[in-house]
Amino acid sequence: MTPLHFIGDWLRDTLAMIPMGLVRVFFVALPVLLLVWVLRLPRAATTPPDVESRPTENLKLWAGLALVIQALIYALV
Amino acid sequence: MPTFSWIDYAVVAIYLAITVAIGLAIGRRVSTGADYFLAGRRLRWWLIGTSLVATDIGGTDIIGIGGAAHKYGLAVGNFEWIGCVPAMIVAAFIFIPFFWRAGVYTIPEFMERRFNVGVRSALALCWLLFMASNVGIMLFASAKMFVTTVGLEIDAGPLAGHEITICLLVTAALVGVYTLAGGLAAVVYTDVIQCVVMIGGCLMVLVLGIVEVGGVGALVDRVQEIEQARAAATAAAPAVSEHTSLILPVKTESPFPWPAILIGLGMILSPAYWIGNQAIVQRSLGARSEFEAKAAYIWGALLKNLIPLIIAVPGLIAFVRFPDLQDTDRAFPMLVATMLPIGVKGLFLAAFAAALMSSIDSYLNSAATILTNDLYRRFFRPDADGARLLFVGRMTTVALLLWAIGFGLYVSQLKGSGIYTIFQTLMAFFQGPAFAILLAGLLWRRATGPAALVGFLGGVATSIVLFTLNQGAICRWLHLKPLFQVREPYLYFSIWAFLVAAVLIIVVSLLTRPEPDEKVRGLMYRRSEATS
Repeated sequence: MTPLHFIGDWLRDTLAMIPMGLVRVFFVALPVLLLVWVLRLPRAATTPPDVESRPTENLKLWAGLALVIQALIYALV
Repeated sequence: MPTFSWIDYAVVAIYLAITVAIGLAIGRRVSTGADYFLAGRRLRWWLIGTSLVATDIGGTDIIGIGGAAHKYGLAVGNFEWIGCVPAMIVAAFIFIPFFWRAGVYTIPEFMERRFNVGVRSALALCWLLFMASNVGIMLFASAKMFVTTVGLEIDAGPLAGHEITICLLVTAALVGVYTLAGGLAAVVYTDVIQCVVMIGGCLMVLVLGIVEVGGVGALVDRVQEIEQARAAATAAAPAVSEHTSLILPVKTESPFPWPAILIGLGMILSPAYWIGNQAIVQRSLGARSEFEAKAAYIWGALLKNLIPLIIAVPGLIAFVRFPDLQDTDRAFPMLVATMLPIGVKGLFLAAFAAALMSSIDSYLNSAATILTNDLYRRFFRPDADGARLLFVGRMTTVALLLWAIGFGLYVSQLKGSGIYTIFQTLMAFFQGPAFAILLAGLLWRRATGPAALVGFLGGVATSIVLFTLNQGAICRWLHLKPLFQVREPYLYFSIWAFLVAAVLIIVVSLLTRPEPDEKVRGLMYRRSEATS
């Protein structure tokens, strides 16, 4: 056994103590937090410059959709 | 042995002819290095986004993910979900606009502007080695698929027993012709056709497979029955059905325990791939505007949500149909060979060829871009004009193809590891450290060139040491147990390599002289710039 083995075993045992229900929360939280960030982005960062854009041209909508699908997948599977 | 009719072969032949013709037609409009490497910066978002997905899903993935799903279960789908979508969204709004505005050809070129030529060269060499080797792996994957699916056997004559070699050479020649002619534009346009054919073909396997096993519910039940029967035989019943779960416990037999997926894949390897992989980023550098570069990544992220369903789930169907399959890389080919009707089989072969070609052409073009811009132009001919760069780009494409053929033939001799594992292990050697220097360069003003070089090399060395210390023969020689308890722990390599690189960057930066203001001006991420 080397110090690396001791560190690895300690980390493995510590992470194994986290309940799987809480682990699922981590996986769902990642896309949800990103979704919040995307929705808070300024309009200038998500729409074409210098033109009057339609709502469907706002990238927030499509990025949000991709992240909602992710959150659902990790909540359900 | 599966039988193919002339209709199957005709479908494949027509598809290949159309692809090569499009590539050659685009090649007639290429006249400079900028046309060849960045498609003249005229690409639309939907072309780039579709091409991103087509490039990412190669023959390696169809065979490898299908095989890994058979062996370990649905958790391999994480590579396409949490391993892609979040990173693509972050890349779209933060990193890609920044690279596009910098007007560079390659990521290593950006690294020289921010740090120094040593960082650029080290990164370029790693990417070059990886891409050239990866093309070889993909060529081998294609040959294996064709030989298994078509049931190709040559019994007599000088070519007897060389079926894989023949398939590998034919594929290399076909992809080489149009990539050589049309550069990035040919790659992206053919990728769009290839993506549509690939998704259609895999969707067909999914639908027919699910119908055959009696629906989604029956599929899950059958998978769990097989798992329970195996657990009863070995008296090692898992707490959850690992084949039908995306999130696996720390002490799993598979290479996908949740910390490796959430941290190693979701937070390190995936952003490193989508933000720092030249083959991926290069097509967005060819976008006609910054907004189109962003939109391309968002469109790619949406498409990515579909991919595990059409690639990983067929692996589970193969698990139900062929539970005792030893070489799991044969899972998807066996499904195609035994399930699809004549005529449709040809369409799937075309789909597979599409997936394969779309990745090989991209990596080939990107490797040539790095070799030409980061090595030839940087060190030998800084004043080379567009025509000269085009010539060198094409010559390096030929040279890389020859290397890839050799490497593909070498991989065909290896036993034990799956194709997907070889690919991911190669990436894990340097992706973590590459991501660490990219993040430090863009987000931390105090990061210095010497620190980036030390951090990158230290991180790569860490990966290699961990890989070595986990090899059975080395462990026996040193009388140690393996460092990692999961199989094929490439995701853990990337975490440790990233952490070591990050620590080295911080420590060495604080010990060295800060970069002058004029050098880093315009090369650091500012929130206000990203949204302007």
